Amino acid sequence: MAILEIKHVSKFFGGLAANSDVSFEMNQGMIMGLIGPNGAGKTTLFNCITGYYPPSKGEVIFDGRRMNGLQPDAVCKLGMARTWQKVRPLAKMSVVDNVMVGALCRTNSLKKARAMAMEQVRVVRLEHRADFLAGGLPIGERKKLEVARVLATQPKLLLLDEVMGGLNPAESEEIIQLILDIRTLGITQMVIEHDMKAIMRISDRIVVLNSGEKLAEGAPDEIVKNPEVVAAYLGSE
Amino acid sequence: MTFSVLMQAIISGILVGGVYALIGIGLTIIFGVMRVINFAHGDIMMVGMYMTYFLFTLFGIDPFLSVLISMPLMFLFGAILQKVFINRILGSLPQNQILLTIGLGLIMSNTAMLAFTSDYKILTTSYSSSSFDVAGISISQPLLISFLITAVITAGLYWFLIKTDTGQAIRATAQDREAAQLMGINVKWMSILSFGIGSAMAGTAGALISPTYYIFPQVGSAFTLKAFVITVLGGMGSIVGATLGGIIIGLVESVAAVTISSDWKDVVVFSIFLLVLLVKPSGLMGKSRM
Amino acid sequence: MKATNPLYSRHGASTVRVCAGIAVIAALFAFPRFVENPYVLHMMILFFLSTLMGQSWNIIGGYTGQYSVGHAAYFGTGAYTTLILLSNWEIAPWYGMWVGIAASVVLALIIGSICFRLRGPYFVLASIAVAEIVRGTALNLTNITKGAEGILVTDIPVFKIGETIVTDFSSKVPYYYIALVLALTIIGVTWLVQHSKLGYYFQAIREDQDAAHSLGINLTIWKNSALVISAAFTSLAGSFYAIFVKFIDPSTVLPLDLSVQIVLISIIGGIGTIFGPVIGSLVLVPLSEALRSNVISEGLINSGLVSEESGVGIFLKEHLAHAHVLIYGILVVVVILFMPEGVLGYVRKMASKKKRGEA
Repeated sequence: MAILEIKHVSKFFGGLAANSDVSFEMNQGMIMGLIGPNGAGKTTLFNCITGYYPPSKGEVIFDGRRMNGLQPDAVCKLGMARTWQKVRPLAKMSVVDNVMVGALCRTNSLKKARAMAMEQVRVVRLEHRADFLAGGLPIGERKKLEVARVLATQPKLLLLDEVMGGLNPAESEEIIQLILDIRTLGITQMVIEHDMKAIMRISDRIVVLNSGEKLAEGAPDEIVKNPEVVAAYLGSE
Repeated sequence: MTFSVLMQAIISGILVGGVYALIGIGLTIIFGVMRVINFAHGDIMMVGMYMTYFLFTLFGIDPFLSVLISMPLMFLFGAILQKVFINRILGSLPQNQILLTIGLGLIMSNTAMLAFTSDYKILTTSYSSSSFDVAGISISQPLLISFLITAVITAGLYWFLIKTDTGQAIRATAQDREAAQLMGINVKWMSILSFGIGSAMAGTAGALISPTYYIFPQVGSAFTLKAFVITVLGGMGSIVGATLGGIIIGLVESVAAVTISSDWKDVVVFSIFLLVLLVKPSGLMGKSRM
Repeated sequence: MKATNPLYSRHGASTVRVCAGIAVIAALFAFPRFVENPYVLHMMILFFLSTLMGQSWNIIGGYTGQYSVGHAAYFGTGAYTTLILLSNWEIAPWYGMWVGIAASVVLALIIGSICFRLRGPYFVLASIAVAEIVRGTALNLTNITKGAEGILVTDIPVFKIGETIVTDFSSKVPYYYIALVLALTIIGVTWLVQHSKLGYYFQAIREDQDAAHSLGINLTIWKNSALVISAAFTSLAGSFYAIFVKFIDPSTVLPLDLSVQIVLISIIGGIGTIFGPVIGSLVLVPLSEALRSNVISEGLINSGLVSEESGVGIFLKEHLAHAHVLIYGILVVVVILFMPEGVLGYVRKMASKKKRGEA
C-alpha cells in the first residue's frame, strides 16, 4: 500500500490556483523528487500535505488515513514531518534544545528527549555545536539542525523543502549523504530541490510541477529527456 | 426614547466621528508605513489639545484658526519623536515597539501632569455651546465646524498621497518597504514624514476637539484605545478605512449612550473591537492599501 | 554564541548555588525576628508582591512570548472576588482566593480562546481591550462591585488551625510570610516550568510559532496552559493585595497602568529568565518608594544641593511623589532602547564579551 496518496489536490488563493489537480503516490522507503520552476506550487503542496492549510479540493491520504483538515501538530504526531524553505531555527535555544523540542513529540521525559536529540545531532554531525545558540549558526548548520530536529520526531515520511538552498558544494554533498542515510533508516522522503544534479542522484522517482499542475512523473532519466519538462524550465528563465 | 433623541445622537455621533476619523487616519498612516503600533497616539493628541489651549488663553487665537499653527508644530514634534526614538526600534520585536510607544506616552502624559497639574481645563469660546437648529434637531456649532475642517484636511491628505511624488513614495513604502527602497525611495525619510503626518493628524484632532472636551493630562489614553478600535475596524493602513471606522465608532458610541447607557458605551466599543479582531482582523478595507 | 543559559543543565545546579539559595531563603524567613520596623517589612512585602506579579507574567510573556498588556484583569479579578466574598458573605480570604483563582482561570480561558488566534501586536491590543472591558464592568456593576467607590474592608478574620490562633493579621508579619511564600512558590513554579517539557514547548512557541506547530505542539493547549498558570498566580497576587491594603477600586487594581507595570517588572530584569522579575522588582520597588516617600527630594535638600525655598526645591517636594509613573515611562524607554534583554541579559552580554576578550 502506498504510504502517501495525493488525490486530485487543488489549492486556490482567491482566484489563483496554486495547485491544480495534482495526483501521485509514494511507496514506503522511496525518495521522491518534487521539482518545477519557481512558483510552480511545490511549497504550497507541502503546506497542504502537512496541514499548514487544507487543500481546496482533493484528498491527502497518509498511511491509509485521510489528512485533510488536520492541524500541523496532529500531522507531525501521525508521522509526517517537514522542513522549511526559509529555515526556522528556535533562535534563542541551543542546538540540542532545538532538537529536543522535536523529540518531546514522542516522549515526556527530558532525559529521554535529550538522549534522542543527541543521537540526531550526531547523525547530522553537529555535536560540536550542541550547546550553541541556534540563532548564531551559519546557514549550512541551520539546515542540518532543521533536519536533526524533524528526525527527532521519528517521522515515517519526511518532506524536505529546498534543504540544499544556499549551501556550498561541500555542504550540499553532506546533505545528499544525509538523505541517503535517512533512506537506510526506512524513512520515506519527498524532496523539493532546485539542484538538478542532486535530485537526479537521490530520487527514485520525480514529479514535475508547473504553474500548479503536475506536468510529468517518472524515473529521473525519463524526466530529464521529457521535452515538456525542459521547455518548462527553459521557458521560466 | 423618541425619534428626535435618536436622530440627535446619530448626528452628533457622525460629527464626532469625523474627529475620530482624523485620529484614526494618523494612526493608520504610521502603521501602514512603519508597521509600528503607536501607543502614544492619544497622548500626542493631548499635546495638541494643550497647545491649542495655551494658544487660546495666552494669545487669544481661536482654536480652529490655531490649527494652522499647531498642525505644522505637531508635525515637527512627531518627526523628532521618530528620529530620536522610534527609528531605533524599527527592526525590533513588535512587542518591544509597542512597549516603547507606551513608555513615550507615559512620559508625555505624566510630564503634562507635572507641568500643568491634573486639573481639568476647559476651553470656552464664544460659540462653544452654540448650535444650529435644523428640523428640531440641534447641531452643535463647534462640532460641525470641526467636522468640516476634518473633511477638508482628509481631502487634502488624500490629494497629497495620490497626486504628489512624496505622497506616492509614502504609499509605495507602505505597500512594500524593501521594493520601495530598491526603487530609490529614502524609506528612513518616509518614516519620519509618516510619523510627522500621523502626529499632525492627532494633534489637529486634539485642537478641533478642544472646544468641546475637557483637557487634562490623561485624556490621551482613552483616545489611543479608541484610535486602535477605529483603525482595526477600518483596516490597518487604509485611510478610507480609518475614515469609515471613525464615523462608525462615533455613531456607535453616541447611539449606545442613548440606547444602553453612557456608562457602558466604552465596553460596547471594546467589544466591537474584539469582534472585529476575531471575525475579520484585516478590517473593513482589508490589508494595507492606503 | 555559546548558550549561556542551557535549558537542560547536564550538571544540575552547582552546589555553591544551591547552598547560597538555601542561605538566602533561610535569611528571609528569619528576617522578621530581627527586624521589627514595620516600614521595612512593608517594603519587603511590596518586593515579594512585585516578584509574584512579575514572575507570573513572565510565564506567558517571557517564556511563551505572548505579551499580554492586560494582566490587571486577573489581578483585579482576584482582588474583587476575595473582597466581595469577604465583605458580603464573610468568607475568609484563604477560601475566597481559590474562588478568585477559579474566576481568573475561566477569564484566562475565555481571553485565550479570543486572543490567541491573533499574532504579535494584535494580541497585545486584544489583551488591553479585554482588560478595559473588565475594568468597565467593575466600574458599572455597582450593585456587586460598588463601582468607583471601591470596596473597603476593616477586619480580616482570624486564621485558626483547629483551635489555635495562628494570626489575627494585626501586624505586618503574617503578611510578610504569606508574601514570601507566594514569591518563593512562583519562583519554584518558574524553575519547574523551565526544566520541564512545558519550558521547551513554551519557548518554542515564542521563538517560532509555526515551526513549533509543525513539530507536534498543539498551540491552543500550550498557550492556554501558560496563560492559566500565569493568570492563577496573578490572581493570587490580587487577592493578597486586597487583604493587605484592605481597599480596592477599579482605578487601583484594574487600570492599564498596572498592566504596564507588571510587564515592566520582567522587561527590566530580563524576560524569559527565572530571576529576571526578581531583579526587576529590586529596581522598581525601591525606586517607586523612594519617589513616593520624598526620600530623594529630602535627600537633595538635606545634603544642601537644593535649597528648600528655591523653585526647584518646592517643585521637587510637591511633585516628585507623583512622578513615579513618569519614571516608569522613562525606564521603559531606556530599557527598550538600550537593554531590551533586561538587566540580566545585559549583564550576560557583558560577561560573554569579556570572556571572548580574554580568550
